[in-house]
Amino acid sequence: MMKSIIERLGIQTSHETELINITETVRDLVANSGVTSGTALVLTLHTTTAITVNEGLADLEDDIIAALERLVPAEHTYRHARFLHSDGQMAVNAPSHIRGALLGMQVMFPIENGCMIMGARQTIYLVELDGPSFRNVVVQIIGA
Amino acid sequence: MIDFHTHPVMIKELVDSDPELARAVRDVFGLYMPPQPLVTFLDEMTEAGVDRAVLLPLDCTTAHNCRIVSNEAVAELAAKHPRFIGFASVDPGARNAPKELERAVRELGLCGLKLDPAIQRFAIEDKDRAYPLYQLCSELRIPLVMHCGLSWAPSGLARLARPILLEEVAQAFPELRLVIAHWGWPWIDEALMLALKYRNIYLDTSIVYSGMPVDTLQKVIADHIGCSILEASLPNQVLFATNYPRVDMRRMVRGIRALGLSPSTQEKLFEGNARLLLDRRVSG
Repeated sequence: MMKSIIERLGIQTSHETELINITETVRDLVANSGVTSGTALVLTLHTTTAITVNEGLADLEDDIIAALERLVPAEHTYRHARFLHSDGQMAVNAPSHIRGALLGMQVMFPIENGCMIMGARQTIYLVELDGPSFRNVVVQIIGA
Repeated sequence: MIDFHTHPVMIKELVDSDPELARAVRDVFGLYMPPQPLVTFLDEMTEAGVDRAVLLPLDCTTAHNCRIVSNEAVAELAAKHPRFIGFASVDPGARNAPKELERAVRELGLCGLKLDPAIQRFAIEDKDRAYPLYQLCSELRIPLVMHCGLSWAPSGLARLARPILLEEVAQAFPELRLVIAHWGWPWIDEALMLALKYRNIYLDTSIVYSGMPVDTLQKVIADHIGCSILEASLPNQVLFATNYPRVDMRRMVRGIRALGLSPSTQEKLFEGNARLLLDRRVSG
């Protein structure tokens, strides 16, 4: 019988920009879900974070951060640089939003025999782009 | 580095345990973001390079029937986390305000007083209600942070918070160390004039109205006032301050650094002036 399971992860980030490896957590959720055939969707609920997949190496993590900072510089004139009345805060994080838009908010993996099909070097990252903050990630496991 | 102007209004452990505080933060202070764990505040400081932060509560019992974080809660935070420097707030509309201030300093160990005429709805020049607090701050040798200028609080009245209203106070209480918050924006020239004339008046850099901090601070401090004025006349009277969580600390620090002030003035602005103002009430 087809089922859909929603799991919510709360993650405390510590830095303005960082890649946090959440692969094992997602794998465990899939393994414990009882779903043997289906898909796992991993998505962030924020617009200044991203979900991405890459090789889990510290040097690549540094390179990705450096590339994002080059592509979307902190020091630039952005229109999103004003008091946001709906928040009661200054909105001065346009670079964080734009970097998030470049990376995307979700990834999906197939599930076969109760495990995610992943490349040997693939690592799932929550990418913090405006931390430190408490972040929410949702994992939806769909299948039978 | 010491951030002389932060509000403990987004701390989940405080806000979630007190529905009345949650209401006050939303309806009176005007902050609508969900609270964050205390560790976020501490990590934000670390990420920005801020060692210590002054916590500013606000007692607006008469004006709005609430306290936007109590003196007790601030004292508890400061006791548990030495990176916090707790200030008190009292309600100038309350007859027992001086007594409460004395208790907050002597018994709770709080290090200064925060007043906000725009939200608390009192007259800076009120000799019956405000002057006894100025007198007591002088006697206790604690600094007074006075909100001045634009108030982002929904019911805040900026006309009550013009820096020029502080001139008589500065004359009447020459021993009072008085911080004009937010550099008094948009009345930055009034604030500047007072600080140039009165050596017991300090200016904080939490200028928050529009634009990225690096641009805003450049426009106000470098282009309008002139860094050379700050270097020559005010190196001992300007305090680094952010107004967190109205704006993040990281970008405010970068905005100040981008001004290119001399190393000695930067050291005073980021830490030295605050330490002197706190009169050795904080250590470490």
